[in-house]
Amino acid sequence: MSRSEDELDVIRAAREARGPVLRRSPGPTAWFDIRKTGTGHWAFSLNRITSLGLVLYLYLHLAVLSMLLGGEGSWHGFLEIATTPVFLGLDVLLVFGLLFHGLNGLRVALVGTGIATERQKALFWSFMVLGSILLLGAALHIIGSD
Amino acid sequence: MASTASAREPGIHRSRTWRATATSGVALLVLVTVHMVAHHFVVEEVGGLRTYAQVLDYIANPVMFVIECVFLVIVTAHAMLGLRSVLFDFGLSASARRRLERGLLVLGIVTVAYGLTLIGVLASRA
Repeated sequence: MSRSEDELDVIRAAREARGPVLRRSPGPTAWFDIRKTGTGHWAFSLNRITSLGLVLYLYLHLAVLSMLLGGEGSWHGFLEIATTPVFLGLDVLLVFGLLFHGLNGLRVALVGTGIATERQKALFWSFMVLGSILLLGAALHIIGSD
Repeated sequence: MASTASAREPGIHRSRTWRATATSGVALLVLVTVHMVAHHFVVEEVGGLRTYAQVLDYIANPVMFVIECVFLVIVTAHAMLGLRSVLFDFGLSASARRRLERGLLVLGIVTVAYGLTLIGVLASRA
């Protein structure tokens, strides 16, 4: 489909403008739309999904830390559960969520402020490689601490 | 979150909340790293988790106390801005958006108040 010169001007102006990348609200069901295969779509969807996971974790974390109010016995009971393999696996999942959301968020912030707008795909994959290395290191540390 | 002026100018409001989300997100990259390393990657005992006494020692340090308080405020603000953004994806009406923003503001204030109380109580026990 060819675009008119006016439409192309609008697209160019939007690309050069600083600030958020504006999208038509696709709604949460579109996050899982497998017909869309672009890196940008999956990065956006996974960013949304990890954000919800991290908000859930924030409140779980506050609930767990509230056990400290119960004193040493209460906290020691939690420590015994926290070192089980299932819990350690969830810790690795948490680190994945933090790394993906943090590094992809940094890419979005850089692109939104006009930095590396033409190389955002390369930036995304560079951050994903960095994230994978950090995740591997963290996973080895977490599993090794059992 | 939404002032009357910004409600009239959705573009400006959207840009402002985006800047707040991005700025708090960049600050969190530093704060989360400090928090994770201090709590889970320099502690050798009990599977990389601090014992009760170690938690009290940690939070009694004035520098760590301030860092944890700042971390709580920024992480809560970032979480509420993120939730707002996700929930706006549902295509809410203008009045529903305003109610949602007020609800998230209250939730954020309650979360920070509870977290600061928790930190304060633990610091007082050290």
